[in-house]
Amino acid sequence: MKNFDSIFAAYLLGWAVFFGYYLSIGKRLSTLRADIERLKSSVGRGK
Amino acid sequence: MAKRAILGFLTLSLVVAAAFASFYVVPMERTMGPIQRIFYFHAASAWAGMTAFMICFVGNLLYVLRRQQKWDWLGVSAAEVGLAFTTIVLITGPIWARPVWGIWWTWDWRLTSTFVMWLLYISYLLLRTLIEEPDRRALLSALFGIFAFLDVPLVYFSIRWWRTQHPQPVVMGGPGSGLEPTMRKVFFFSVLAMHLLMILLLSERYKLEKMGGEVEDLRREAEA
Amino acid sequence: MALLSNTAVVLGKELRTEFRSRELLTTTVVFILMVVVLFSFTFDPTTTESRRFGPGLLWLAFLFAASLMLQPCFLREQNNDTLSALRLSVSAPFAIFLAKLIANTFFLLLTEILMLPVFAILYNVHILSVIPQLVLVFFLGSLGVAIPGTAFSAISAQARMRELLLPLLLLPLLTPVLIASTEATAALLDLNPELRRDWLGFLAGFDVVFLTALWLFGEYLLEE
Repeated sequence: MKNFDSIFAAYLLGWAVFFGYYLSIGKRLSTLRADIERLKSSVGRGK
Repeated sequence: MAKRAILGFLTLSLVVAAAFASFYVVPMERTMGPIQRIFYFHAASAWAGMTAFMICFVGNLLYVLRRQQKWDWLGVSAAEVGLAFTTIVLITGPIWARPVWGIWWTWDWRLTSTFVMWLLYISYLLLRTLIEEPDRRALLSALFGIFAFLDVPLVYFSIRWWRTQHPQPVVMGGPGSGLEPTMRKVFFFSVLAMHLLMILLLSERYKLEKMGGEVEDLRREAEA
Repeated sequence: MALLSNTAVVLGKELRTEFRSRELLTTTVVFILMVVVLFSFTFDPTTTESRRFGPGLLWLAFLFAASLMLQPCFLREQNNDTLSALRLSVSAPFAIFLAKLIANTFFLLLTEILMLPVFAILYNVHILSVIPQLVLVFFLGSLGVAIPGTAFSAISAQARMRELLLPLLLLPLLTPVLIASTEATAALLDLNPELRRDWLGFLAGFDVVFLTALWLFGEYLLEE
């Protein structure tokens, strides 16, 4: 198929951007969730 | 939890279906061959990105008028997601142009205005990193966001007008221009799929922002 | 009307402050001169080439100079803690913006007109027959630069890295002004000079859009 590399590259790069973005959000979400747990327990202890 | 799973599944199936359609349902384009199929991905992303920026504008406006945190969260989330889609447009454009025109970049009016819009929203995010106080950050970035969005049609119009006077190779035929019926249907299907993906990413990013707010509140409580 | 009298008072203060020291004007003129000279090393300055690249380089020089010149606008108030006093002295915050943007437009226009003969001599372009038209283009363009510029000066004064932030916010937004002003200027410097009413109309439209936005949202830019 003519220009197969280009189509392949385009879709690969495109979806890589979306997946990368989605995964980065997921990672930040789990860090924050851990933070919330930690803070909730320290607030609980303080009270 | 279930709602998110459903949205995710729906988005995934629509996106896969759109990709499938763009390869197998649509007839081969006469002059450009298979590379033309990237158009469905490229142009649909452009529309989804534009919608995201519109949502950002609404969030900005509502924050300035109502001063509720959720509008600031919506604004920044929509700006980031819009930027992701716009980045796709700027990446797939040159990948398309290279085999067809032999060059990576032509200052084609659509790509150029997209580039300027991309720069505007990068500035929006950069501005946010340079203001520490959350309320001030929300207000000032919302005001900049409003100005930036008002500029977007002016940018498109001026660059297009300028380019019609100094023509250059056009990277793609516009959406709907010279598209035969099957192509048009697949295109709108792709646009729908991309919008669903945009909404999925937006809701995840918004959740992140909201959680950030919770962490801040808890941190303040813990220090008290 | 209170708005006009308030504006006049603040405008008087702005003009008096600047003309007492003239530091902003002198540094801006010298900066534009430097850019114009430096640009001459980047292409072959024959008359035809100058006619082709001259207008663009002139307006780029104006834009860069403006993004530097507009910084002290609100930064000075903030550093000297005069902003709250200023706000108390007027009935509407828009008067402050109106006065500052008129002053900024005037300063920009003055430096541009001062640079015009220098540019004409250095690049061998004929301007004598079209000076009034050029001044009109410079006026509408400078207004287009000063309106968002004054607004963003208020934003960047409240953020970090303000020296770099103002150009970052301003320059992408001013793309339409750059295009319209360059095209209008180029048409006037052409062998058959022509006044491009379409681009001038566009510039006027740009000015109206952002003046309206500033009028609607200006007060929020100056919030405590």
